[in-house]
Amino acid sequence: MRNRASTSLAKAKIRQSWSKYNLYNMQRFRNPGTVNRTFFQQKWTAKALSRAYHGEQVREGQWKRMFSKRIRSVIPMNTNDLAADDGSKASAGRGSGLEKAEKGITKRLTPYTQMAFAPLERRLDVAIFRSLFASSTRQARQFVIHGAVTVNGHKMRHPSYLLNPGDLFQVDPERVMFATGAPKTKFERRETRQLKQKAEETEAETEEAKEAVEQEDKAENTKDTLKALMAQAKNIMSKDKDVLPAKRKQELRGFQKAVRRVLSRSETSTVLTDNLETQFSELTLLLKAKRAEKAPKESKKDKKGSTEEKAVVEESEGASDALSEAFKSAAQGGEVDTSELSDEEFDVLKRALTQMRDNPIDNSKTYATPWRPRDFMSAFAFIPRYLEVNQNICAAVYLRHPVARPGSAEVPTPFGEAVSTPAYGWYLKRRW
Amino acid sequence: MAPRIQSRRVSNALLPYLTSPSSSPSVLSIPSLSSSSQYLSRQFSATAAPQTKLRRQMFEWLSTSGAVLKHHTPGQTNYLRNFLNDEGGGDRPFPSNPTFTSENILSEELRNEIYVLVVEKKKSVRAVSVQLGVDMKRIAAVVRLVELEKRQRAQGKPIALPYARSVHEMVPTTPLAQDGERQQFHEPINDLPAHPTTGPQIFYPVPESRSFTRVDAGRVFSGAPSLEREVAEKITHPSDLAEKAIENPNSIEWVGKGDNARQVLQPADVRIPHPQLVKLELDRAAHPEERREVGKRHAERMERQEKAEQERRERAAARREKSIKHVEPEGGRFDYRFSDAVFTAETTGKDGRAPWASGRRYGVPTNDRKRGVVKIPTRVEA
Repeated sequence: MRNRASTSLAKAKIRQSWSKYNLYNMQRFRNPGTVNRTFFQQKWTAKALSRAYHGEQVREGQWKRMFSKRIRSVIPMNTNDLAADDGSKASAGRGSGLEKAEKGITKRLTPYTQMAFAPLERRLDVAIFRSLFASSTRQARQFVIHGAVTVNGHKMRHPSYLLNPGDLFQVDPERVMFATGAPKTKFERRETRQLKQKAEETEAETEEAKEAVEQEDKAENTKDTLKALMAQAKNIMSKDKDVLPAKRKQELRGFQKAVRRVLSRSETSTVLTDNLETQFSELTLLLKAKRAEKAPKESKKDKKGSTEEKAVVEESEGASDALSEAFKSAAQGGEVDTSELSDEEFDVLKRALTQMRDNPIDNSKTYATPWRPRDFMSAFAFIPRYLEVNQNICAAVYLRHPVARPGSAEVPTPFGEAVSTPAYGWYLKRRW
Repeated sequence: MAPRIQSRRVSNALLPYLTSPSSSPSVLSIPSLSSSSQYLSRQFSATAAPQTKLRRQMFEWLSTSGAVLKHHTPGQTNYLRNFLNDEGGGDRPFPSNPTFTSENILSEELRNEIYVLVVEKKKSVRAVSVQLGVDMKRIAAVVRLVELEKRQRAQGKPIALPYARSVHEMVPTTPLAQDGERQQFHEPINDLPAHPTTGPQIFYPVPESRSFTRVDAGRVFSGAPSLEREVAEKITHPSDLAEKAIENPNSIEWVGKGDNARQVLQPADVRIPHPQLVKLELDRAAHPEERREVGKRHAERMERQEKAEQERRERAAARREKSIKHVEPEGGRFDYRFSDAVFTAETTGKDGRAPWASGRRYGVPTNDRKRGVVKIPTRVEA
């Protein structure tokens, strides 16, 4: 199916997508005017707006068949109230109770028309998008068609499959990481290409060479990872003597990158939110033990001059690189010799290593590694109640059909009742 | 993505250095930065604008007030704010839709706790639901998903850990209570689904002297005659019907004939997912002093009901099993199951040729390969 779902700025339509264009369109969306417009025109506009978001991939006739004017709703019951009254109090007198309801309590209305597009939430592609497994419904649809989705353990290739309550669907975690992760930079893509080329070359070579490489790897795995880490500290000391300002700038940028790389492995992702200083302080925390031992001459907290800071910056640039190298080789498998380390160091390294194992640098992946969420993902991140999602295995259960309750509707829609009510009216058999 | 630069349709011969490809990136990147002065400075320029106004505005927004949305702060939601009246944010992802809120998801610890309670400690789903304030369907789903996760971990299949971690940072979560704390309830567990028969408004005159309860209202909505006086007097509270309905669901009365046959609408006390809690509240109100006794009686009631439910389930399974004949050939891998075909109006239609009836029948074409017939499955067996 051709993708007609453009996110243009001139004719702004809100789509089921995490694109920044879409975010901008959502932000500047205002309810369409009603002055000097016929009721038909108002309904038409409302329908067009909401259909661009809800099931834009579904043909109009197909959607019309799915539409149901009956809307599911629930009322949360309080067992105290049920026990206190058998209903006769509420129906006493002339049928509406003897006592007037307290004035302070305003009854919250159930937004029924916000549920107009609830039947579309049953679709497999929409449910995948709602469980945050794809960055748009179109992408979710592609995942289904390409065979990356199973329903109750069977491969399902129909994006229009209507989920039944209790259905468990699962998307290939690699695809999910690709869809929700930041894309590769062009440098990373280049590295991937080189990796591929290298792999092809090594294939051509004889097996003897392979064995030699393996032996080398083994030697690295055991001891050299840590040795390199320790030696790096000394190298850094001699590094910061005569550096040109332009070069310094370059290195700073490189440092920022390295910090990001290392910190995105830690449990908190402050890496993305805070500025350079906080990132740096976190990195120093990680490396504190080593620094205190190996570089006692240069204490950072005495002075706060800019030159001093830069020296520190460079120092940790090397260290972080070494660390990531060490992590890399450790993550590829094999034990690290821990006899040379103090307990504290060991603890730090162990923690970092487990983090590394969870989120390794791997250029063969289709997304930027270590994985981090793509830009603007958080603005779209919510999971409706009718789904129960397990993010670890990228599986979710469709618990029940979405319902409306007093004051809230479960169908996620960017439009208020000013749009959804006329749109609902449009699809009724006997139009308003 | 950097702001897209449109290809220049107009090339000015007087300004060759502007159109030369080598200098283009540095020259063109300047006007996009200073948007306000751009129009004044290039009034007589014949080169096309490198950006449309809309794109410029968009990137301006993305770099100013939209910049906060780019990355999240762990533990906080980061949704669009309503810039008009500067409210919203918080848990509303859509500024123009006040009725949709981003609701909590189960935290990793709470999810594991549910699994431990149900699978390892063998607590009933109902009891865990009341204890943690989580819907029973969700508990069942969590158990399934955690089980699946364990299996996949054991098999060494890929797991999206960094993704899971950052989703839990972006979305509000319900934490598991620490020791000594009260568990925060995840969601309302006693949701009463609105029944379609309660839709129409009914004018039903009742004498003021008569007490008109929820039981009576349900009968009026389903068009059943009002209860006999002797029967009605036995019901002191609508929740009396709950126990009977749980122990024997077939005891619910039917009205109407043929296609119009329907069960009498039961009061809310019966239809909520946790009807036993109403009885508990009644008992508490009647005996406020003897809390321990009340708790004991509640536990007994629960046990009795669970036992009845279990028995019913076993009976149904046994009945199903009885109608199936198992054949397992020696040395074969398969277990063949035969069940007798039942020819009734329900299974094969009045004339025996209904399209939903099983098997090949003379004069009844199978549509499963025809053009225009929808072949998308409607259910997938687990």
